[in-house]
Amino acid sequence: MLGKETLGDIATWPVYELPQARKQSLLLSVMQDLTSHHANSCPGYRAILQKLWNIEDITNLETVPFLPVRLFKHERLISVEPTEVVKTMTSSGTSGTAVSQIFLDKHTSAMQVKVLSRIMGEFIGPKRLPLLVIDCRKTIADRQKFSARTAGILGFSVFGREVEFALDDDMSINEERVMGFLSKHAGESILIFGFTFIVWLYLVRWLESNGRSLNLERGILIHGGGWKQLQSQAVDPEDFKRRLKGVTGITRIHNYYGMVEQTGSIFMECEHGYLHSSVWSEVFVRDPMSFDPLPFGQPGLIQLLSAIPRSYPGHSLLSEDEGVLHGIDNCKCGRKGSYFKVLGRVQDAEARGCSDTYTR
Amino acid sequence: MLKRAVAVIHIPDNLSQKIEFLLGSSDAISNEPIEIFSEQRVAFLAQLSRLLLADPVGKSMPDIAAFAYWCRQANLERMRERYDPKSRLQMGLGLTFHICPANVPVNFAFSMAFGLLSGNSCVLRLPSKPSATIDLLASAIQKQLNEPCYQHLRQDLVLMRFDRDDEIVKFLISIADGRIIWGGDETVAHMRSFPSKPRSREVAFPDRYSLCLLEPVCILEMGKQAFDRFCFALYNDIYLMDQSACSSPQLIAWIGEPKEVEAAQRKLWPEVVKIARQKYPLQAVHVIDKFTAVCRNSIANLGVQSIERNTNVLYRIQLSFLDKHQDECRGYFGTIHEVVLPHLDALAPIVSERYQTLTVQGIDHTVIRQWITRNRLRGIDRVVPVGRALDMSILWDGYDLIGSLSRVVDL
Repeated sequence: MLGKETLGDIATWPVYELPQARKQSLLLSVMQDLTSHHANSCPGYRAILQKLWNIEDITNLETVPFLPVRLFKHERLISVEPTEVVKTMTSSGTSGTAVSQIFLDKHTSAMQVKVLSRIMGEFIGPKRLPLLVIDCRKTIADRQKFSARTAGILGFSVFGREVEFALDDDMSINEERVMGFLSKHAGESILIFGFTFIVWLYLVRWLESNGRSLNLERGILIHGGGWKQLQSQAVDPEDFKRRLKGVTGITRIHNYYGMVEQTGSIFMECEHGYLHSSVWSEVFVRDPMSFDPLPFGQPGLIQLLSAIPRSYPGHSLLSEDEGVLHGIDNCKCGRKGSYFKVLGRVQDAEARGCSDTYTR
Repeated sequence: MLKRAVAVIHIPDNLSQKIEFLLGSSDAISNEPIEIFSEQRVAFLAQLSRLLLADPVGKSMPDIAAFAYWCRQANLERMRERYDPKSRLQMGLGLTFHICPANVPVNFAFSMAFGLLSGNSCVLRLPSKPSATIDLLASAIQKQLNEPCYQHLRQDLVLMRFDRDDEIVKFLISIADGRIIWGGDETVAHMRSFPSKPRSREVAFPDRYSLCLLEPVCILEMGKQAFDRFCFALYNDIYLMDQSACSSPQLIAWIGEPKEVEAAQRKLWPEVVKIARQKYPLQAVHVIDKFTAVCRNSIANLGVQSIERNTNVLYRIQLSFLDKHQDECRGYFGTIHEVVLPHLDALAPIVSERYQTLTVQGIDHTVIRQWITRNRLRGIDRVVPVGRALDMSILWDGYDLIGSLSRVVDL
């Protein structure tokens, strides 16, 4: 069994090079270890395992028990002593006012940073680049409202230097400031980060409707975060890239997929438009009716495995997103591992019942 | 000669501007009562029933069909006989104000029927949420009111919509002689915060909890046909309203020997699952809700022994004992709590005033009656056979709705 002390080594695994069989056996032993660790340390997780799963038979990655991600909005799930918690992450999400609570100890928090930087290094290289954030400074100034946006910006700031914000606090582009940033770093590659809908609304759409353009050709754009707040605006990824390129000239555009419940183990979009599992994560697509794993090409609920979470039982989660698995190890981009696409959140259904009349 | 007090209510302009009138208007709402089960009102509803059943679209919508079937002539006559309106004088209260539920759209029509049959004029606040059921019913009612023979009913019926607005509600409650509130505890409490007339009455439908009693031997001995019918009936009770109606069963209490119960469960559930898999439109979002709920249940409810997951269509939560607050352990979209009890009295301690519908199979009504009286139960307002959990009745939530919304003239 892998102990806590050997986990540091996990961070040295090659990000996208291991063939599936090798990756599976490495990840499986981590998953078995994490499952029994959480079962021993987290009473809530143990209760669920006892009543819903047969834990004797974790024989492959598909049989690792999973929790619904929404559970973290309702239950305090923690696998370390409360005194060991160094950071509590929260995410609002869409179902009502409940907020996810993710408890991090020093070890898990450090693993998140290590793994995330290894994955990012594959796309932006080992050096820190000048970073242009497509957002306003206010977003990170208000620590009371520590949103996913705040967390994302702060998290990615680690990979950049001389951070500049492209938007003013009223969310309008400050062209002067952007131009200043570009001329200051003339000739260098730059890293650009922003939330998908912010990039779309306040960069692409703003430039388009004002007949303006910005030369960001040297940029590598990393964007993510989905369209939760702007479902009606959601555009397909190809259109997003094409129109973004039209007004900025950017060609290196990478979407990422991940959730606050598994921070660090993100899925990066490759040049061919597929999201890739790294060596620390795995993805399954499950039939909502049976939870059986679905073959390539069939849409279903996305389940995510991550080798990182040790301070809370989040190593195997059923998301509320639908997606399609496209293959393993044979993406044209050359990266190994499973690759997939996200179709979006499951459709909200009509709630029925007698007790929804006036107050709600 | 003194002019008769004008029995017509006006809604002040500042309020009526915020109201959308689907039927009726702000300046002529009657508050004159009429005798219960009046000929004209029975005829009106019976005709509405015919109209709905003749409409292929209406007939194909299960909730509308159920309402139409309920208010057909023969059924109304049967109800009328119960109240014996010929030999005793019973009049409505005047004007009733109804807050109708958003999630069971058809209930506004039942509410309207209760108000009309009990001799009242009705002002109904319909939910703002778009609903094909409401659109179809409202247009059928409108069409019928356009007929000259129902002209006299035009001031007696107002269908309105307005956004949550306490000023409007406050006014309507202040003029109402009776109010009917469909909604949970919260809505009921909110409505009670507004002053009402000293003699006004209230019929409130707060949150309720319902359960089902099964006797294993009776299920084991059922012949094929009876068994198939029974499974279908149980499926309907559980699944038709996603288990969200107040009368949908949440708990199945088996009364009998554990061995027989086990055999009956083995016979029963695969069949119910088979029907559900064919008929129930389980959606991915339901599955996530269900799965999250059973996980939470596993953590919170110490009585949970195991959870049988038969695909995602049915989750059976096996309880080793009944929690005192069992009514807080709810499930939706096919999530059933199951417990095995040696006798009926073992169930009595958990039955609080929150308990509404008891569906029963294989246990005699006399036994149930004795059980309720012997244990002096504070709850359980309906006892019906399996398959009838969702049938609306003029006796509902412990109210005789006609009696509650009318006055008896001692003559």
